[in-house]
Amino acid sequence: MSVLRVENLTKRFGDVLAVDDLSFAVQPGEIFGFLGGNGAGKTTTLRMVLDIIRPTAGRIEVLGAAPDKRKSDAIGFLPEERGLYSHMKAIETIVYFGRLKHMDPADAHSHGMELLERFDLADRAKSQIGDMSKGMAQKVQLACSLVNRPELLMLDEPFSGLDPVNQGLLEDEILRASKRGAAVIFSTHVMQHAERLCDRLLLLKKGAKRFEGTLEEARDTLPARITAVAHPAIASVDGVASAEPVEDAGDGFHRYDLRLTPGTSSEAVLEACTAKGIALRRFEEQRASLHEVFVSMVGEGEVQR
Amino acid sequence: MNRNVLLVAAREFRQIAAMKSFWLTLLLVPVALAIGPLLGSSLDEEEATRVVVLDRAGGSAATALEQRFGFEEDRSVLRSLSRYVRRHGLENADPDAPWAQHDRWYTDADVLTFRQSGGVDAALAQIDKVRPDDTPEFDIPEPEYSFTPAPTALASAQGDELQSRVDALLDGGEDAPDGEAADYVLLVGEGYPADPTIRLWSNDQPRSNFVSQVQEVLTADLRQRLLADQGIPASQAAAIQGAAPAIAVTTPPPGGGAREALLIRSIVPLALSYILMLSLMLSGSWMLQGSVEERSNKLLESLLACIRPEELMQGKLLGALAVGFSMIGVWVGCAIVVAFFTQGEIADMIRPALEPVSSPTAIVAMIYFFVMGYIAVSIIFVAIGAMADSMSEAQGYLMPVLIGILLPITFLLSSLVAGKDGLLVQILTWVPLWTPFAVLARLGMGIEWWEMIGSGILLAGFVALEVVFLGRLFRASLLATGQKPGFKQLMDRFKAPA
Repeated sequence: MSVLRVENLTKRFGDVLAVDDLSFAVQPGEIFGFLGGNGAGKTTTLRMVLDIIRPTAGRIEVLGAAPDKRKSDAIGFLPEERGLYSHMKAIETIVYFGRLKHMDPADAHSHGMELLERFDLADRAKSQIGDMSKGMAQKVQLACSLVNRPELLMLDEPFSGLDPVNQGLLEDEILRASKRGAAVIFSTHVMQHAERLCDRLLLLKKGAKRFEGTLEEARDTLPARITAVAHPAIASVDGVASAEPVEDAGDGFHRYDLRLTPGTSSEAVLEACTAKGIALRRFEEQRASLHEVFVSMVGEGEVQR
Repeated sequence: MNRNVLLVAAREFRQIAAMKSFWLTLLLVPVALAIGPLLGSSLDEEEATRVVVLDRAGGSAATALEQRFGFEEDRSVLRSLSRYVRRHGLENADPDAPWAQHDRWYTDADVLTFRQSGGVDAALAQIDKVRPDDTPEFDIPEPEYSFTPAPTALASAQGDELQSRVDALLDGGEDAPDGEAADYVLLVGEGYPADPTIRLWSNDQPRSNFVSQVQEVLTADLRQRLLADQGIPASQAAAIQGAAPAIAVTTPPPGGGAREALLIRSIVPLALSYILMLSLMLSGSWMLQGSVEERSNKLLESLLACIRPEELMQGKLLGALAVGFSMIGVWVGCAIVVAFFTQGEIADMIRPALEPVSSPTAIVAMIYFFVMGYIAVSIIFVAIGAMADSMSEAQGYLMPVLIGILLPITFLLSSLVAGKDGLLVQILTWVPLWTPFAVLARLGMGIEWWEMIGSGILLAGFVALEVVFLGRLFRASLLATGQKPGFKQLMDRFKAPA
């Protein structure tokens, strides 16, 4: 059974179409990347899943129930805009959120302390949030979202504002949650994290789905680029759509950027070159990066490296 | 009750209880209420007004004045003693004594009898024999006027010298010894009674009872002399002068007069209404601070991922209610302690004061209107908190609301203190936002049962509408940070969510 199932979800704010007929499903143990530029509809979708806002149309199922049933005991959520009660102590805050998720206070306390230990914050458990650094407070908030060992962990732009060390810590927690069987959804517009972590991806533009699938499938949406060092005759090989000379390599050889006709594999071109006796000093296939896929689908302006 | 609501309420309560301002207010209010009467009584003029009579016509006028004022002081003491005896039922100490008679305005003869039987000291000695241990002692009132002899330098001074010496006397100040300071200086000229002009200097507007008594004494003196000049014997002239009606007076026992009784009966209800207002304003502003913090610290989304907006709102309301009840609990506790350790008049006053609020119906009504009043007003604070990103923005919404709520309540309470139960009071009873204050305050004066039930039902309907519509506003406003809603957006937020 899918942990989260979204069908034909639409959300309008007045005349603005924020989410447009979106459908997807997330399975247990899966890390699902929710990619899109600013205003793509990522946060709106997550808010609808949490029943913070209601959809205009469509259907959402969280662990087999409608969002308004609020299975908060099985959900962990880290919002993009983070903040906690400044006068509460770190462990008090974690226990408070744990109890709001129907946890037993003692269990919430012990697991909260375990998380703080893991985040190197055990000695600050009784510090007030207002006395902590921003990074520390963000880790406390992450602990709040993890304290109930959620079956569905939703992280909205979780890496924003974190230093590289804490980004690594967060990646570890995402992988840990996935290993114990939780479905993890995180939204981001930083492709490196998605490339490293995601089992599947969903690309959004202006509220509509542009792609859904694995990283490999995403890369396959763009034709592979081949760098070859050869004689000019390579341009006449079957399957080569264009051969752009980049630089002179000497002895009549040039470095070419080859573009293949759709449906032609790099192996077929290599074979054709051999059959035609075209000498090759270099033949290297370069698959599209997720960044390139993203740019091609949503535009350069939407991406952040 | 929903577990999440209780968790939110407990957190709200803990947050407010952790504020210094909460504890300061909690303790300052009873301290202020205790200090108020003490300050008031210390401000009361306990010192007798010092009077210097400069009698240049032989001294008989000065003597007559001093005697008369002494006589009136005794009449006043006798009246107070009579009220004390009546309040505590001590007439059996001497049923024939004038202070055991409460059915008349004391005549000169009564005062004379009182004096001849040894005055207040002798009366108290008799009363003490029958006074139970728990009955407080009689507090002898301070005399209103004291007469001091004129300084010798003033005796012969005339014109400017007289004026400057009188000025010095009047400027003498409170701490100056007798003879060197006075509040009133009265000059009976050498030509008196042929020239009946009496001159009075005062460092303030003279009291009318002083002037009228001076006038009465000197008029009697002048008439006595005129009667004597007419050949009427002194004893006959005195009889003519002393002819006065005997006024029989029927009054309720102390604290039992219609107006006095009404005021005493209204003390607790009025105090309840006032406390409701005070605690609402305080807990409301603390709650508002908390809501604004939630918005400005951007933790609403985390909360709403766990609980429904309705649960958050109800938790906040319950938290505010708990804060209000705690404050009232402490204040009422302080009042009970004071009442327990206070003997006499205050305890006597508290008994009738508690009468209108001690029946089961009144207690149920009090709790109902108190709780509903709290919800009706607190929910407005909660909604404002959901709309404002900062305290200054919240103040912008709050000020008109506060004025709209508080101003009519101020009129209402002052009307009821003045014993008026007019149209304004009737209107405010039926306007739900002010119903709790009006009904609570009217419990002492007496409110018709149909009015109480009718306005209570109307209030319940109003609160239900508030919960629906302000609940929508709350939900719609929670995540709309950074957006200042215009009138249209505000109206849209009242509509049911899609």
